[in-house]
Amino acid sequence: MSVALRFEDVTFTYPEGGRPALDDVALAIPEGSFALAVGPTGSGKSTLLRAANGLVPQFSGGTFAGRVVVEGRDTLAHPPRRLADVVAFVGQDPGASFVLDRVEEELAYGMENLGVDAAHMRRRVEETLDLLDLVPLRSRSVRTLSGGERQRVAIAAALAAGPRILVLDEPTSQLDPQGAEDVLAALQRLVHDHGMTVLLAEHRLERVAGWVDLALGFAGGRVRTGPPADVLRELGTGPPVSRIGAIAGWDPLPLTVREARRFAGTAPMPEPPIAARDGLGDPVAEVRGLRAGYASADAIRDLDLVVRGGEVVAVMGRNGAGKSTLLRVLAGVHPPSAGDVRVGGVAPRPGVDAALCPQEADDLLFNDSVEAEVRATLVARGETGDAGRWLDALGIAGLATRHPRDLSAGQRLLVAIAAIAATDAALLLLDEPTRGLDTPSKDRLVGFIRRHAGRGNAVVLATHDVELAAAVATRVVMLAGGERIADGEPAAVLGDSRVFAPQMTRVFGHGWLTVEQVAEAIA
Amino acid sequence: MNARSIHPAAWIAWATCAGTVAFLTTDPVTLLLLWGVSWFVYANHRSDDDHARSFRVFVTGAVVAVVLRTALVFFGTISVANTAFSFLEGFRLGTILVIFGTFNAVTDPFGLVRMAPRHFHEPALAAALALSIAPRTVASVGRVREAQRLRGLTVRGARSLPALAVPILERGMEEAHALAESMDARGHGRGRRSRYRPQPWTGASSAIVATAGCAAAAFLSASAGGWAVLHPQTSPLVWPETAPILVVAVALLAVPGLLGRHAG
Repeated sequence: MSVALRFEDVTFTYPEGGRPALDDVALAIPEGSFALAVGPTGSGKSTLLRAANGLVPQFSGGTFAGRVVVEGRDTLAHPPRRLADVVAFVGQDPGASFVLDRVEEELAYGMENLGVDAAHMRRRVEETLDLLDLVPLRSRSVRTLSGGERQRVAIAAALAAGPRILVLDEPTSQLDPQGAEDVLAALQRLVHDHGMTVLLAEHRLERVAGWVDLALGFAGGRVRTGPPADVLRELGTGPPVSRIGAIAGWDPLPLTVREARRFAGTAPMPEPPIAARDGLGDPVAEVRGLRAGYASADAIRDLDLVVRGGEVVAVMGRNGAGKSTLLRVLAGVHPPSAGDVRVGGVAPRPGVDAALCPQEADDLLFNDSVEAEVRATLVARGETGDAGRWLDALGIAGLATRHPRDLSAGQRLLVAIAAIAATDAALLLLDEPTRGLDTPSKDRLVGFIRRHAGRGNAVVLATHDVELAAAVATRVVMLAGGERIADGEPAAVLGDSRVFAPQMTRVFGHGWLTVEQVAEAIA
Repeated sequence: MNARSIHPAAWIAWATCAGTVAFLTTDPVTLLLLWGVSWFVYANHRSDDDHARSFRVFVTGAVVAVVLRTALVFFGTISVANTAFSFLEGFRLGTILVIFGTFNAVTDPFGLVRMAPRHFHEPALAAALALSIAPRTVASVGRVREAQRLRGLTVRGARSLPALAVPILERGMEEAHALAESMDARGHGRGRRSRYRPQPWTGASSAIVATAGCAAAAFLSASAGGWAVLHPQTSPLVWPETAPILVVAVALLAVPGLLGRHAG
């Protein structure tokens, strides 16, 4: 089998200097691989992905040694545009890659540059629209798309150009579980049927681990290549099924629910734990007969909801179900078209009664250090208080003097959450708070949310991250088409769902949500 | 029928002709009519919220331009005649801005790139990117203001300028960089190019070019003929006269508003 992508002793340091982002990396990815880059935030994954088509070092600058060879072409001798016929790249922020205005034209852009003839181009656009289920969006302006839609359009635009190698940086971070499954299935079909090579970085390992056949394990700029199970074991990370497998000593380490069920079937399980429902405080947020939306359509219809102090409510549902709109209404920045919304007994004042960390968390950051960023919130409240307390709470005290711009996307998100939480509003709203977070950061966020709710605050999070909801929510509200279709304890709501069930439920049955619960029971 | 059925080149022709008319006159009745015509065309063709917001910004800019230009009189001899003259000069400048705002709101700048001949692709793309800056920045201002409100910061006054400007500028820089990267990574500038579904020229496009052309021609001949109605006298200040033929000419510029009301 020939090699699609080869790194020969590559060492790279960004112009700002410091530690090399890639440190003597040598690897070869065979043609037709479905490869996963895995490792903590800031370990060099994005850098390696961007080196695959020469964006590093040609656009980044910096010191580069060694050679990267793509389908036989050296990336130093060929600018990215000369590699566009063999390798396509989809970055972390899919909206940033859009050049044209309409979805259909955006899909054709790469082919136009490659000089593909008109008839062929037309056919390929139609096929790609079908492949990623984008037909209803074809004449929309890319600026009006939701995050999940943008992500699918960016992937489609890369695919339409017909590359031999597709490189994707967190391609499912804004997709609902079903949407992510569909995209990965489409990629696998291209790998299996057409010999395409796919290299992707993803933190939500439970989504991707079962699909890939090769893993690149990152630690401090060094990379080890091998079968996914071996690499994950070495890094001490993995989807919930592998984490429980490592604890229970299962060998080979399972990567999928199916593999884990073979081991689990043999072990007798005790009764699942029953969630404690005591200690709930008074209502913090009360919503009655809420209707809200935009000029074109209602995003929320006739919703009643009461959230009490101490509750952590996960609002879930597919892309476009109305999750973000509900959070914006609760935060007091989106006026309801009908109904009554009260937070702490009054119409919510943003940043006072309710505080929302939006999906575009970067819009918040304007100070030149992480500490100053949190202090800005405290000053707005007329406090001189201790910014360090909020940094400690989120486990980012070590970044206090760093400039937010120099942090990874996941780290910036934690900074934004700290700056929002510092309002000390009784209702904390988090919109998709695990984008770009590695497992340790996610664990820290879970700890923070639990402690914050434990002090009598209410937390509402909109998320596609099933494992986050399983770990931290005391209640799950499922939305579809702006209406509530399920509301209850996570074990009941998630356990009943084919799409939203966490891995532990799928392996061990109803009532089991997290690795910690199962580990305790089988210990 | 939708907005796409009017060819971008027809919009360029319309904007150029309307701009020429505004440039050739300081008659307040004509200029006021041009504001009305612009609004009418915009209202029937605006494509989405971002464009609507950017149109409002252009109108605000136009009003500011009128006020500032009129205020210039305070640096010289203040008289009714001078003030009226300054006001009319400002009104003309503001009108040109409103016409440009309409053009910006009804066209897809990237539609222009698609129709540029191959040799002009690069400058056309640069122009399209420049044109897209206004709606992008306006959208960005809205988002950042809201984000700061979410943590209790009121973005108003000079002290809170960094809270607004820093994220917008940083995001703007990042977006520009990301766009340049994306274009290169997707093969821009390889030399060969083909075109996906070029937009057809329609009867509506011809009608727009013809009527706008007539309007501009009427004003150009009036200007060449030295018609006094184009520049009403301000000293002494008298109520401006209007020539019916020129009113008809301005009305012709409203034709795009009658053709192809944009659905949705």
